[in-house]
Amino acid sequence: MRGFLQRCLIVVAAAALASCGGGGGSSGGSSGSSISAPPVSKVEAFRFLNQGGFGATEAEASRLIALGDSNTAYTRWIDAQVAKPASLLLPALEAAYPNPVPQGFNIGSLNAVRLETWFNNVVYGEDQLRQRVAFALSEIMVVSQVGALLNLPNATADFHDMLARNAFGNYRTLLEEVTLHPAMGVYLSMLGNQKAVAGTNLRPDENYAREMMQLFSIGLVELNVDGSNRLDASGQAIPTYNQDIIEGFARVFTGWKWACASTVTTCTFANTRPQLAPATGYNQVKPMQLFADQHEIGTKRVLAYSGSTLTNGTIPANQSGAQDLKDALDNVFNHPNVGPFISRQLIQKLVTSNPSPAYVQRVAEKFNNDGSGRRGNLEAVVRAILLDSEARGAATGTQAAYAGKLKEPLLRLTQLWRAYTARSASGKIGAARNFAGGAAAVFGQAQGSSPSVFNFFSPFFAPSGEIADAGRVAPEMQIATEYANTQIANFFWVQSLSRTQLATTLNADDMFINTTDELAIATDSEALVNRVAEKLLGGSTQMSAALKSETKAQIERTAVPTTNPTTALATRTADAIYLIVTSPEFALQR
Amino acid sequence: MNRQRRKFLKAAAAGGVAYAFGRTPGTVHAQMSGVGGLGDYKALVCLFLFGGNDSWNMVVPTSTAEYNAYARSRGGGTSSSLAIDRAALLPVTRVGQLPGDPTFGFHPSMTGARDLFNAGKLAVLPNIGPLLRPTTKPQYQTATTTGHALPPQLFSHNDQQDQWHSLRGRTVLKSGWGGRVADVLNAQTSGQGLSLNVSLAGQTYFQAGEVARPYVMGATGAATFSGFATSGVGLARRTAFQTISNSSASATANTVYERSYARIQQRAVQFADQVNGALGSAYNFAALPNTGATLSALQTQLRTVAKLIAARSSLSMSRQIFFVSAGGFDQHDDLVADQPGLLANISSSIKAFYDALTEIGMDNSVTLFTHSDFGRTLTSNGDGSDHAWGGVQLVAGGAVRGGRFYGDYPLLEINGPLDVGGGRIIPTVSADQYAATLASWFGVGESDLAKVAPSINNFATRNLGFLI
Repeated sequence: MRGFLQRCLIVVAAAALASCGGGGGSSGGSSGSSISAPPVSKVEAFRFLNQGGFGATEAEASRLIALGDSNTAYTRWIDAQVAKPASLLLPALEAAYPNPVPQGFNIGSLNAVRLETWFNNVVYGEDQLRQRVAFALSEIMVVSQVGALLNLPNATADFHDMLARNAFGNYRTLLEEVTLHPAMGVYLSMLGNQKAVAGTNLRPDENYAREMMQLFSIGLVELNVDGSNRLDASGQAIPTYNQDIIEGFARVFTGWKWACASTVTTCTFANTRPQLAPATGYNQVKPMQLFADQHEIGTKRVLAYSGSTLTNGTIPANQSGAQDLKDALDNVFNHPNVGPFISRQLIQKLVTSNPSPAYVQRVAEKFNNDGSGRRGNLEAVVRAILLDSEARGAATGTQAAYAGKLKEPLLRLTQLWRAYTARSASGKIGAARNFAGGAAAVFGQAQGSSPSVFNFFSPFFAPSGEIADAGRVAPEMQIATEYANTQIANFFWVQSLSRTQLATTLNADDMFINTTDELAIATDSEALVNRVAEKLLGGSTQMSAALKSETKAQIERTAVPTTNPTTALATRTADAIYLIVTSPEFALQR
Repeated sequence: MNRQRRKFLKAAAAGGVAYAFGRTPGTVHAQMSGVGGLGDYKALVCLFLFGGNDSWNMVVPTSTAEYNAYARSRGGGTSSSLAIDRAALLPVTRVGQLPGDPTFGFHPSMTGARDLFNAGKLAVLPNIGPLLRPTTKPQYQTATTTGHALPPQLFSHNDQQDQWHSLRGRTVLKSGWGGRVADVLNAQTSGQGLSLNVSLAGQTYFQAGEVARPYVMGATGAATFSGFATSGVGLARRTAFQTISNSSASATANTVYERSYARIQQRAVQFADQVNGALGSAYNFAALPNTGATLSALQTQLRTVAKLIAARSSLSMSRQIFFVSAGGFDQHDDLVADQPGLLANISSSIKAFYDALTEIGMDNSVTLFTHSDFGRTLTSNGDGSDHAWGGVQLVAGGAVRGGRFYGDYPLLEINGPLDVGGGRIIPTVSADQYAATLASWFGVGESDLAKVAPSINNFATRNLGFLI
């Protein structure tokens, strides 16, 4: 999208987009092309693609570089990504669902289809950015197959599809679709939530009200637009809500349950049930329905803040459940916390665990107003995050030690698989076959499988030592335990050595990587180590001296016989890939 | 933070692996009995019940007035009742109980816990939770105007889990009390072959010390590195892997994430061989057998703990804190259906663990104690309960003065003197007192208790007395 030409300063630093006026936090798709912006380098392309997808590849880096220069290429790549339709999970679930369902069938086993399809989508799918954003959202607005959703695999799959569809949409829409999705209704017990019964101690379930505020929207304490805590006169953080407000929202979220099946003539709150098997309009994947007789009609105390349209932060009595829901979600959406709360977490998931307050502010301001007066424009937020000078440029001074983040373990795996065009004979990525005990047992995490609504790791986690002492965080370190480290290293060893195109005893679903390039040059340790670094780190210059020298030396320890050299070449190749893919350097997302 | 500690921490961080010991496996065997002068072995096992255990149904009043209050509050007689039938409870008699005193029983599925209680090996803390100072209901209700210190974010899962782990109150402390115990005992335990803190249930703040760090294992043991060997190319591969990790762990030009990750990688290699060597020749417990029985996830964790205790000499351990967990306690829904299984698991696991320790004569040396995010509301939300505050915890082991309650069991009355709203009972014993009692037995000196339990000086009773 070419705009008018702009003069801009020739800048030596690779990605100082802000000084050219069209980069940094700009919204929308157009950024003026400049006469002399430098091209995107391969290393920079890798950095960007690792922020905006499931693993940079040389091919995708080349495509990105060809789109333009450092002022235009990233924007154009994002434009193309936004236009791509979402890869979905639900169709595979529906295809796998037996019809009719045999007696005693283990419905929960279909969750494996969801995991397998998710891997397929993120490893092979073209909508890389959408899937990465959906994954980030799924770690904030969490549902999990662990617990009440076990036998509702289609609902769980459709919930993720809903996140993917909303990834570049509006946060207000997302919040409503999350609230009314039956997967969330089951997971946080809003589905079937009843009004209070006079004369008894029965009162509405508070689970969704609490977690929706704490985790999905505003958080526990008031925030400035740069994500820092607002403090009261005595220097204390200010809670955003109290028990009264939780009870107020809990009363809003009453009367919602499974949408009525067309097969049921008199459908009531009491008798509406989940429809398990796919059929036209089956309610497992339809928004919850309101049953007015179970909705609390009294006043409801919600959030009070400057600019709120409700008087005294109270929803008036005698409104319909639908009106109450709308007022309540508007009330949350317009709270000043949402911009910094959501922006900071998305930055942490995509780019860096410790953004500067200024970075958070630039993105939060884009959430508050995308440039054309709209609040909650997630596409604008994602663009702001990825095009910001802090994401594209080099950190300086004390901030340099905190640049980037630890890659989530699954993203180390998907990056290896993408870089080495991994596939299986069957075409499926069978999670059960490829991970002994499941992906979570090996990598410490799996999509839609966290032990609680708090995801596998907390955005506030700080390991003891220099990170905690500095008041910074490294959330992914929470699952980077010694045990996980060993499991992951072992997975990569087996992958590198035994699950390649050379293997003859693999099962149909076993993923094997393609090491043809490497085998061809494996007699030359310098060429081999450089090749692997180009594929995994974006450049041979990206290896530290120690990583390169140790890997080279290890490669050379396996002598190559003149007859039947294949095994030795395979071992040399495996050592090169293994040592680089397990290196802390590779574990870092720059 | 005082200058001394800051200097120590800087040095530790720069040195890479942030704890005082760093001996290679070959030399630890030289450090055997009476390591550092402690002269004996003790272990604490923290069993965390994630989600907030609905514990008013775990230990229930059986005497008429108290039971009736409980049943009324929990919706007895209605379709949304959470109350257990009085006749189904497993009654117990407390040591020193007098005629006319209130009586209690365990949930029907907790026969193991009942048996341990009757044998004097299990104690009950009937109303315990995070507190910064003793707090009455009026003090709670006027706290915003009076400034009476309350733990922040009551009723929030992760904040309350943090409070139990760290006892940090309103401070920004980033360590847990298990980790701080390790810090305090560092000098006496510096010869140990493994971290004092070991987790079989992931990483939490509980075991993070300011200096000491936990070792996180899988429930069935540590993993060994494939591709490594003791000679040849496999040994060279291990050495290369370690050299790369060491380089990333120390280079000052790297980011904190790379350094932090590399340090974990160093420890993973260092400990894998040691732990698996110790576990390889470990005991086969009749109470938690290796084969022939299906163990729950919690039992599997406890079996590994028991094996590590059996192997304590080969790892030169004299003091250990283990962390295990069970989940599924956030019973907003389906409480009546799900609770029996959850409580049966806790009860049978604690009993089996105690029995396993008896098999190796270590029952007096190991104390298991429960934590949970919070107790739950007396009132029902239809088919479950919501987040609350005070609740019941259990302590088990040969050193426990069991068969007793430590603290008063509250009157479970809606709008009663301890209900701060919606059937949320304010605790009358604090998590700090609990920790201080356990830490004292473990070997933490009187003058160090406030380091472990920062609010302990606000309470008259520093030691609840449930350990010999």
